[in-house]
Amino acid sequence: MKRDIGNALPGTEEQTDGKSMTISQLCATLQKLVKVPQVTDVWVVGELSDFGLRGGHCYADLVEKDDDGKPVAKIPLRIWNYLFNSLNAKFMSGTGQPLSTGIKVKVCVAPSIHKLYGLSVIASDIDPAYTMGDLMRRRQEIIDRLTREGIIELNRRLAWTDVPTRLAVISSPSAAGYGDFLNQLFGNEAHIRFTVKLFEAMMQGEKARPTILAALERIAAETDRWDGVVIIRGGGASLDLQCFEDYELAAAVARFPLPVMIGIGHERDITVLDYVANRRVKTPTAAAEWFVKRGESLLNRLNSIGSALLQRASDIMAAEKEQLSYFEGVISVFPLNAVRHADSRLVNSINSLSNLTTRRIVPALEKINAMQTQIEHAAQSALTMQRDRLNADERLLKALSPQAVLARGYSVTRCDGRILTDAATVENGAQLTTQLACGEIKSTVS
Amino acid sequence: MEISNTSVKEMSYREAVNELDTILREMQSDNCDIDRLSAMTRRATELIAECRNRLTATDEELRNILASLAPKAN
Repeated sequence: MKRDIGNALPGTEEQTDGKSMTISQLCATLQKLVKVPQVTDVWVVGELSDFGLRGGHCYADLVEKDDDGKPVAKIPLRIWNYLFNSLNAKFMSGTGQPLSTGIKVKVCVAPSIHKLYGLSVIASDIDPAYTMGDLMRRRQEIIDRLTREGIIELNRRLAWTDVPTRLAVISSPSAAGYGDFLNQLFGNEAHIRFTVKLFEAMMQGEKARPTILAALERIAAETDRWDGVVIIRGGGASLDLQCFEDYELAAAVARFPLPVMIGIGHERDITVLDYVANRRVKTPTAAAEWFVKRGESLLNRLNSIGSALLQRASDIMAAEKEQLSYFEGVISVFPLNAVRHADSRLVNSINSLSNLTTRRIVPALEKINAMQTQIEHAAQSALTMQRDRLNADERLLKALSPQAVLARGYSVTRCDGRILTDAATVENGAQLTTQLACGEIKSTVS
Repeated sequence: MEISNTSVKEMSYREAVNELDTILREMQSDNCDIDRLSAMTRRATELIAECRNRLTATDEELRNILASLAPKAN
């Protein structure tokens, strides 16, 4: 049996009779017919579906869809293993993802007809820029729609609690990224306590979208139990991110009532979810680090409040002690000062008093002295006057005294001690005594 | 400012930190009451200890949590 059916031509030895040809002959003829320049090495665009690898060869369908996403044309695509690795590598370096179902591609192909497998196109080159542009365009469409609907910022505006330690994680339990996340989270040196619950979901392929949406719904039913949502995967070799480029998923994340953190790939893997999620981190490890750092900064704040309190308390005590010792110092000096003060006041009083004495008493004394002199003079003159007067009186008295009268020749006659001034009053025989200046004469009336 | 006597266990983390801030401000103000200095310091210490307690766990606790969460695949 001939191996190269390509050489078989109509009407050659394979023909069994003049009227019919074998399928092999037909296919060989068709294969010749399709090898024409119009369809050889032409660039064609379509979406990959049913992507699969067998024996290093790539088998997929290239599908054309209408605006509603309904397939309107389809052709099998083959990339033989001698080319697949280099084309896939070229594609990955241009788009950040491997060839897989759901991706729109622009490939350089030539048609081929196989007697068993029929028509297919064989790829010889690929243009990652087209896919990139398409991805960007689709992502932009989703972003535009979310923006139009006013929900794109919703989740990004949510604030994390002071201590986001209760985390609802959406991941695949077997994902290496989930293990990394847990180890990082619970191995933190500050011993920050986290509460984590896994809400299982597929993190790649067509089931990713519905399972992640379902997980979000389960978390939404118990939002009071969680501080936030962490969607992680990573570590795997396959980086099928197409499943995340979805409007419904993005809208669900945007509208989610708790802040959502996304860590679904490596540095350059960006999906539309990164535009709507509250925070985006490069890896699950980085996600855990963010929570640990947040906890640590709270611990640091506690520590700094503590040391500020301590500092302040000891400052206050120091100031009070200083004030006390000031008082102590003052108290030892104060009484002395007070005594000195009182003393000097006393001296002042004495001085003022003596001034007062000088100013008031001396003149008074002088006045008294003067008065004394005056009084002495006055007394003297009064005495003199009295003496003169006495002398005059004495002289008068002397002149008027009975003795003087007697001396001048007068006499006093008494009868029975009574001075006689009337002779008629004397009876005969009465004894009379007549006093003269010198001596007396006794006589009898006859 | 009245020193609260609410049990720190019954307070939310936010409330506890807010009270710490208040105490600190009070102590930093010029008319800090010396008679209450030690009461304030004691209260603040309680609050800090409680907050730190809530944030952190012992080694053993962490190991247990991690063990209960580890992927069953292993």
